[in-house]
This record gives sequence, structure tokens and C-alpha cells, in this order.
Amino acid sequence: MGISAASSASEAMKLCIFDLRRGQHEGQELDKILYFFPADLPFPTQLSVIGLSEGLITFTRIFSPEAPCEVIEAEMHSHVFYEAERDIWMVMVVEKSESETIWRTAALRSVLKEVHSLFVMFHGSIRALLDREPSGGLTRTHLYYFIMDYLSDFLSGKKLHLPNFRDSLKERGMVQMLTIGREAALEVQSLVRVLESCAGCKQSYSLIMFQDLLVSTTLSPDDLINLFTYTVMRLTPNALSAGASSWSYLRKGSTTSNASASLSTSSNSVLDRYYNSRDTSPVGVRSYQVVRPLQHEKWSKGKDGFLVTDIWGTEVGSLSPSSPTIWLKQTEERMYLCAFQHKSLTIILLIPVTSVHNGEQGLSVVKQQILENASPKIFKVEEKLSRGWGGENAYHVSGYRYLLVDGDKYISRASPPGKVTTLTKDSLVAMSKLREEVDLEKSRAKCDGSDCEKDQEICIRAKNGAWVISRLTRGKELYMVLEKANETLLYASEAVEKFSDRYCSGVFSL
Amino acid sequence: MSAQASSSQPSGFGSSGALSHVYIQHPPLRCKISGARNIFYDDGTKQLIVPTSDQVFCWKTTPFNPNVTPSSDQIGEGPVLSIRFSLDLKLLAVQRSHHEVQIQNRESGDTFSFKCRSESERILGFFWTDSPTCDIVFVKTSGLELFSCSSGIRSLQLVETKKLNVSWYVYTHESRLVLLATGMQCKNLTGYQISSVGIVRLPRFDMAMAKSEANSKPVLAAEDIYIVTVYGRIYCLQLDKIAMQLYCYRFYRDAVIQQGSLPVYSTKIAVSVVDNVLLVHQVDAKVVIIYDIFADSQVPVSAPLPLLVRGFSRANAAASQLMGQNVEGLEGKDSNHGETVIYADEWVFLVPDLICDIANGVLWKIHLDLEAISSSSSEVQTVLEFLQRRKLEANKAKQLCLAMARTIILERRPVPMVARAIDVLVNCFSLSIKTGKHHMGSKVERSSTSGSNVNSAIDESISQADTSEKSPKQESGSGTHDKSIVKSSSVTSESEDNVSFAKNRGKSINVDLSSSEQNGGNLVGTDVSGDEAQPSVVRPQAPGSGSTALRTDEQQERLVTSAAISPDNLCSFVFAPVEEEMAGDPSYLVAIIVEFLRSANLERLKVPLNIYVLMIQLLARNENYAELGLFIMNKIIEPSKEVAMQLLASGRHNFQTRKLGLDMLRELALHHDYVLLLVQDGYYLEALRFARKTKVNTVQPSLFLEAAYASNDSQHLAAVLRFFSDFIPRFKSTTDHQTYSRYLAEMNTMVTA
Repeated sequence: MGISAASSASEAMKLCIFDLRRGQHEGQELDKILYFFPADLPFPTQLSVIGLSEGLITFTRIFSPEAPCEVIEAEMHSHVFYEAERDIWMVMVVEKSESETIWRTAALRSVLKEVHSLFVMFHGSIRALLDREPSGGLTRTHLYYFIMDYLSDFLSGKKLHLPNFRDSLKERGMVQMLTIGREAALEVQSLVRVLESCAGCKQSYSLIMFQDLLVSTTLSPDDLINLFTYTVMRLTPNALSAGASSWSYLRKGSTTSNASASLSTSSNSVLDRYYNSRDTSPVGVRSYQVVRPLQHEKWSKGKDGFLVTDIWGTEVGSLSPSSPTIWLKQTEERMYLCAFQHKSLTIILLIPVTSVHNGEQGLSVVKQQILENASPKIFKVEEKLSRGWGGENAYHVSGYRYLLVDGDKYISRASPPGKVTTLTKDSLVAMSKLREEVDLEKSRAKCDGSDCEKDQEICIRAKNGAWVISRLTRGKELYMVLEKANETLLYASEAVEKFSDRYCSGVFSL
Repeated sequence: MSAQASSSQPSGFGSSGALSHVYIQHPPLRCKISGARNIFYDDGTKQLIVPTSDQVFCWKTTPFNPNVTPSSDQIGEGPVLSIRFSLDLKLLAVQRSHHEVQIQNRESGDTFSFKCRSESERILGFFWTDSPTCDIVFVKTSGLELFSCSSGIRSLQLVETKKLNVSWYVYTHESRLVLLATGMQCKNLTGYQISSVGIVRLPRFDMAMAKSEANSKPVLAAEDIYIVTVYGRIYCLQLDKIAMQLYCYRFYRDAVIQQGSLPVYSTKIAVSVVDNVLLVHQVDAKVVIIYDIFADSQVPVSAPLPLLVRGFSRANAAASQLMGQNVEGLEGKDSNHGETVIYADEWVFLVPDLICDIANGVLWKIHLDLEAISSSSSEVQTVLEFLQRRKLEANKAKQLCLAMARTIILERRPVPMVARAIDVLVNCFSLSIKTGKHHMGSKVERSSTSGSNVNSAIDESISQADTSEKSPKQESGSGTHDKSIVKSSSVTSESEDNVSFAKNRGKSINVDLSSSEQNGGNLVGTDVSGDEAQPSVVRPQAPGSGSTALRTDEQQERLVTSAAISPDNLCSFVFAPVEEEMAGDPSYLVAIIVEFLRSANLERLKVPLNIYVLMIQLLARNENYAELGLFIMNKIIEPSKEVAMQLLASGRHNFQTRKLGLDMLRELALHHDYVLLLVQDGYYLEALRFARKTKVNTVQPSLFLEAAYASNDSQHLAAVLRFFSDFIPRFKSTTDHQTYSRYLAEMNTMVTA
């Protein structure tokens, strides 16, 4: 079942990861492949995809050593490139056959970026894994399970739904924040300090979420985005009650572990092929202990409010599951991940592994501390936030379909997905095209190397009469679709102005 | 506990270094007059009165000054059972017998007498009131008689009579409350409050008394009843010697409710109130237990410790140590050495906070050692609450609070603990604002000495609505009564004439001086104030040492009438100094400040801007830019120009932070600054557009031109030039125009070349 399912899902998309430093001798080409989706594709096909990509990278490097190749637009396919780590490339190939397959390159690349960052957060960098075990078996195993689990989130039925033009008012790699008043913010901060004191060491970090929205964090932006993404994918109350409808862009509604299985069954045989063909690994893959943090339905809420999982195996000599750990990008430190949930509030505490003595035992002391010292505050904060919570359509602005991106703070806010779906296809395609243009403009500015962030404003009247607007100013971006609007440009411009004044404290008012 | 506790401390007497929470300050007020027969205390006018055969000498006790000179009045010869000045000091009433009270006009010297009509009734006592309807109240065995009395008229007009068979009564001017005991056991009490707002009759109530045996019927004695006024509430304490409990009744307008009891460890106790703190002197055990019954808590503020005399010279102290190896020895006859015997039998406790040593003719004022109390407890929160309620030495309490706040932060105590401490301070300040008490230096109405004018303290304290009427007045002084109890051991004249009741609470004290005439007249108060480690802040002299110190006390009073600490004070005397002293990781201090802001926000108090500035500095120093952004976004750090400027300064190394500052300027509509900074950052086109939109014309054109020129873009330079030419009249004739036109021309030729 696995193979057939996988191949049907895979027709539209191929995803590979390869290492330019490996397999540079004839006959060892397979060695460079670290991951390929669909996994059951014959090696020659895999190698031809990788060969083309590698060739293009090598060629374009002649002209642009730092940023070689970004995308190939062929007649039937788009190849999206992403250099995840030095010489480790991820390439995604998507078809352009049918009407739904109108892609925005940057959106696809952000998928590659996201899966890689998440991978690094849990397993460390690919390069480090390869260095640790040069045969590559460990890396391949980890990548295989990880990406399969990740892709399962995009499964809808038997098809992979990658972000296309319908997602043009969404932005991956950003956090969504809950807007709270000063009083609530102070309560939250007070809680943050208590949590820190519970952790008992200075280098601990916290993340507080309400529903799928960020309330507060002490993490640096890079780490924040990864952890936020993971939390929304697997830890928030919505994520725990799997299958419940979700309004977050990070999850499709119908995801089930079943779907994940359909992608990854026969994995062992798939993975073995690399070794069998090369006959270098007598041990086989099964000897690797694989941690699959993205596996579905593995997290649950314990009686004490803490979220538990057996993903990280069990403690040696005991039945209790080991505590999850992640790597922080900024400090390159390994941290225990300790998640607590009270109603809609999810609290994540990261504690350096090195600072916890006696491992699990030390951690349970911290948990005890949280229960004893922080829980009154947690209840209070939850109550306060719930009272002020406007529901999933809280940030809907009637008449507008918008996306607001703050590139400095990595924060985005958008019209709720349910409202965006009311837009016509024409409007969405137009927005997708507009964003493609803006992306191009931005990357050009980056190439020019000027630090100045230029203001920019584009208003387009789409075929269906909708206004499709973008405004960029000093690191902040606003995208907007106005359907059923007046036909004058002045009207569109005033609409933006009004929105800016009311919801963005005038940032976009020029 | 009594014997051990007292004998373990003898060496401590007189030396200021000894441990105590309550002390009396040397030198005392000396009121020895040769030929004196008694000592009376008139709590209505707060004077100590000593009659001789034909004169009375009066010492004012508020403000307490040991060197005050007495005034004197001539009175006619005859016995003096009690004596009181009218509240306006114009009249002097002297009770000559159980049937007669003489009233004398002090100016004219006219006298007239008030006499009982029937022989069957006796005058138990009398007191002057400030009630609008009557001036003087006589308590007779047949009840109360209220009279009005105008000084010009030579007689009293009967206003009202309250018929009641009275066994004895207790009155304090502080509470304006008279309690009348009736019944066989005298435990049935009726109360009237006769105050400036009228007369309130309290519901009659019974005192509970434990029985020693099944059939015994104990009789409640007047000296076992204490009227206590704290925080504007009136309590009645009843000593039950059988049960060894001090029952606590609280008076409401319409009810008397028993509110717990305090244990006693001595068959003889005395009660004082200093600054709303209840002191229960366990006389036999020679220790004081301190209660702050603000929150109806019956837990002592601190452990029982002896009462000490402070201000003795060391020589005296040493001498005393040599003299007495045990308490008994000390208590003996060494008064000629000037040594003070603590809890001597001749001591009479006056309401609320005075002690009269009738044997030696000296008057002591009881002081609290706030510092010692505060350092004796590790419960910071409780101590701060206690200190915040202190009015008498408000400034000292305030300084102690500030010092404690600094200390706990510097010691890096757990954040929740510090947060609770800050909560206390902020809440108290908020309360003081609500009750309008926090006006630094505005009012001086309170004198430092006795509780006479506790008004201010009181109405601010949370007295419940129903007691509000009673609250404003406090004076204590329990009543005199016909059955007099002779206090002094030396004189035991049971004769009715000579009676002196010297209850501590007794308003008039008849103390017999005959026995111990001599006292050490040569005590020179040396300022041994060993316990003053005043934290900071200009306080030239520490309070609590000698007479000079008393004056400083008053000066402080003038400056600070409440221990409440404003957010400004917290910032400048806690956070700022602490920040300087604290090295290393500033996140702890940030956590504390967050708690402070939370507290202040809950109380809707404004915090000074510099706390925000400090916070930004701390976060930036730690490179917590992400958090800083969050704080700005959530308005935890409220926007202001100062904050924006600090963000810009701290943003030198962090572009995002700088942007936060810029955005804040724009949102605050500080357009000029915003435009200027935009130009400085090289966004001259945006700046120009913004300047045009917001009509900012105060920024020099040359700045824009310079920026455009520096960007080396001839198109932009041309655009900027054109902009100014179009919008500024006569710009074309300025040197700027000429200069930059020339530059533009050069740039263009270079391009074409």
C-alpha cells in the first residue's frame, strides 16, 4: 500500500537533499543523496534530478559564487533551490500542469527552509550528523522519518497540498501574536519571571502561547520561529486534539497519522536500498534509534498538566519517557523542552541540559516548582487572556483581506483563512503574482547590498475588478485584496491609509 | 516564662544596646513638687496635674518635652479627688468630695460648686466634652448627668440625664467613650459616646468571665477594663485573670463584637497604645508583647522583650549592673542612683502611651523601636505592612521600608517574595492617595507625642463606615471611679478621700507621692542613640535620643506625615541605587521592575519615566532586544519622548531597537524629531514625504540636500532640490540652492562624461 500511495502523492512533487561534498567519484553518485521523495523512485531518475540541479548550481556559481541558483522555471516544472547548509542543497520540483499549480517560489522555498530549521532544532545540523557518522546512514534515517512526518501535514486525501496561490495571504516562518492589553501583558511578564525562577538557571527560556498565538517569549527570533512552528504543529490544544478543525495556516484539517503512514510505510526497505546497492552497511538501518518529533498523536496532556510523549524513548531503567530535548540555534545549546498546558494556554520552558543535575530527576523538581509557584499565575493569565480573546476571527477586518508582515520582529498577521477563502481565484492569483514581483524586488535590493529598506507601493486592478495592493516600508509589508471596491485608485489608496492608521499605528501611511 | 524572662535581662537596663522593641527615653519629664499630694493626668487636655495645698501645677505632655515648665493655678484649700481642665482650658474643675465638684474660672478666679442633690448618690467622676449639647458630664452612682456651662454664667445647666445604677465607669477622652458598669458582677456594661457629633448610645453588653469555682461569682473590676483606640477603632480589652486571657471587644455603632483574645502571662498587666500599636505589658514578667490588630490578627508582631530605658550614660548603666545582680535588687532602693526600675509598683500607665512613676515623680513616654522590630522578623511582607501603618515616626518607617526593599533586592531574594513586598508598598501608597493623606510637608497637624491628634492617622485608616463617627477622636484615659484602687505600694490609704486610681488608662491619676520622695535628680540624658543606623537621605539627627531628638522627630513629621512610598521614591531610592550596586545579570532587576509595574498598574498609579528608561538600559545591556521589542509592543514600557530617545540610544547596536524608537516618535506625533532622525538615517525621501504630509517645516533643507548628495544619486538630489524650490518660497535665492545646483550639475557631467 505504501508504495502505491506514495507514488500517487508524489507525482506532483519531488524533494531531494544532497551533499555536494559526497559522491564526487564515478560509481559513488548514490552516496550524495541524503534524501529523496518519493523514495521509491528508481535511482537513475533520482540521480538525473540531482544531476541537473548539481550541474546548474556549479554553473551559476561561476557568476554568483555566494547565491548561485534559486529557481529553474521549465515548461512543465519549477525547480526551487535552497542551500540549507554549506554544500547541502534542498531542491523541490513541482509540476505546473493544472490550474491549481500556480506557485510562488518564495513560498515553496520557505517550506524547505522550515523543514530544515525544524530538523536542525531536533537533530542538529546535517553536516554535524554526517561528520559524526560519515557513512550517512544515520543522517538518511533521520531525514527520512523527519521529512516524511513533516510532509504528512501537507497531505490532504492522497495528495500533497503545497502552498500555492491560494496561500498568497499567508507567510511561513513568522509568528502570529495575540494582541493583549498592558495589564494582561504585565501579568504575563510576571509569570515569565516566575517561570524563569522555577527553572533555576539564567539560561532558560520560555514561550507562552494562547491557542495558536504567541503571547510572550524570551527566545531569540530564529529559535522562536522554530519552536513556535513546532508548538502549533504538535503541542497546542488544537494540535493535541488532532483532526479538529484548525484555522492556522500551519495545519490542514484532515491530517491523521494514517496519512503519515501512507507516506512512510516500507521505509526500512526504502532506506535499505542505499546500502544494499552499495553493500556497505551490514548492520542495516534498523540499528539506529530514531527520534521522530513530528510523528502524529504522540503528545498527550498528563494529569499534572504537563505534556508528555514517548518520542524520545524511555529512560534507561525506568518506564517513564525521556524528556524531549532540542538544540537552540543562537546559543548552540541543548535544552530540555518542558511543556505545560492549562486550557488554552501552553507554556514551554527550555532549560539547558547542562544545568539540570540528575537528568529526569532534576527536571521533575523543576516541574514541581512550576506547579507550586507558577500555577496560580498561570490560571490567572489564562483567565485574563480568555476573557479578552476575540475568537479565531478576532483579527478580521471587514472589507479587507490582508497580510501584515513585520520582517524585523518576524511577526505576521493575516485575515483569518476562512475569510480569505471567500476571495475569487482571480484575486488570489493576482496577489500571488504581485507577491512574486515584490519578492524579486526585495531580493534584488538585497543583492545590491544597500542597507536602506526602500519604501514601495503597488496597486493593481485585477481582471475581476479587485484591488490588489502591496505596501512596503522599512521592513514592514502589507498585502491587501479589496474586492467589490470602488474603481478609483484614490479609493484604494485611502482604504490602505485607513487600515494603516487604525491597525498599524500609521506605519504604512505615507 | 515570667521569672526567667525578666531575670535574664537585668544587665540590659539602661544600656541602649540591649534588645528591646519598646523603650522609654531618658530623660523623663520630672513633675516633682514639694508638698505635692497626688499626681493626676487629665487626658482631655493632656496635662499632668500636681496639686499642692493651694496650687496646681500642670505640665503639658504634648508634644512631649522633658524640659517643659509647668504652669500653675491657685486653687482653694481642700482635698482633691480629681481634677480636670475644660477643653478650652478656661475652666478648672476640681472634685472636692463625693458630693461636690468645684469649677473655677481661671481668668477671673470665680468659682462655683456643683453638688449632689441627694445624699444617696455619689459623684464617681466627671469629664469635659466637646459635644455640641453639653460641656461637662458627671458620672454618678445614679447615672450620667450632662451639663452645659458657659464661662460667663456661674452655674451649670442640666441638659440631659441618663438614669442608671452605676458601680464604676471607665472613660477615655481619646475614644469619647464612657463605659458604665452595672449589675452585681459589674459585668453588664453600657456605653455612651459623647463626641462633637452628638451622643451615641451603644448597645448594652455583657463581659464574659471565667469562674474559678462552680458557684463563684466573680466581680469585674474597673482596672481590668481597658478602652483602646487604634486605627480609629475602639476596642475594649478585658482582663480575665482566671482564664489568663485578654478578651478583645470591638465597638461598632450598633454592636459590640468579641474578636478573639490575647493570652497574658502575668496576673498584672497594663496596656498602652503607641502609634496604633497595642502594647500589652506583662508586668510580672517584665516584658512587653506587641500587637498590631489592624487586620484582626492576634499574632504578636514580635517576640516578647523587656521594656528598656534608653539614654542613660554608660557609667550609670555600669553602676546599675554592679548594684543589682537580680531584678529584685534593682527594684530596690537604688533610685538615688538615677537608675530606673522597670515596671516598678509605683508605675502608672497613662492612656495612651505615657508612664508615670509616682514614686519618683517622673513621666516617661513610651516609644517603639521600629528598627528593632523590623529587623526582628524575616517576614518582609508583614514587617513592611507594619511599618507602612506607622504614623508617628513616618519618615523613619519610610526609610526603613526603603532600606528593606533595597536589601531584599540586593540579596536577590526570590522574585515572588520581592513582588509581594513591592505590592505592599504600592498598595499602601495607593491607599494613602485615595484617602488624601499623601501630601508631603503639607500639614503639620499631628504632633509627635501622644495620640491626641490621631485624627489624621485614623480617618485614613480603614475604619469601617460604621465606626467612622467614633474614629476621629481618640484619647484614652479610662474613667475614674469611685472605688479607687491604690496603685502605689507604699501608700495604702484606703480612705475614700485619698484614693488614687492609677490605672494606666485612668484619666486622672491620683498618685501618692508620699512614699518615695526622692528620685535621682541628676540624670543627664546623654544622647546614646546606639540604634540609629539611618539608611540614607538627609536626616540630620536620628530620632529617639533625648530631647533634641524629639524635636527632630517633629521636623520629620512636618516633612512626612505618612510612611507611604510613592513610585517616584521607589525608583529613586530603591531601583536606581540598587541598579548601581548590582553587578552582572540584570534580568533579575528587570523581573523586579516588571512586578513593580504590575503592582502600580493594578493600583492605577503613574510610574516615573526614568523607570522605563532604566528598564530599556537593562534589557539592552543584556542584549535582550527581542524582549525589549515585546515590552514596547505591549506597552509595558509606555511610550514617551524620553523612552523613544533611550530606544534610539540603545539602538545604536541594534537596528530594530532604533526603529522602535523612531516608530514611537512618529506615534507620539513628534514629527520634527522623526523627520530629523529619518534624514540622519539616510531615509531622506521618506522624511521629505513625511514632512510634507505632516507640515513639518522646521528641519533645515540643507540636511535633506546633504543626505541626497551623500547618496550619490543625481536623480534624488534633483528631486529634493525641486521639492524645496516648489514648496519653499524664495528657496531659489538661497545659498543652499546654489550650492546643491552646482553639485547636481557636476554629478550630471560626471555621468555623461
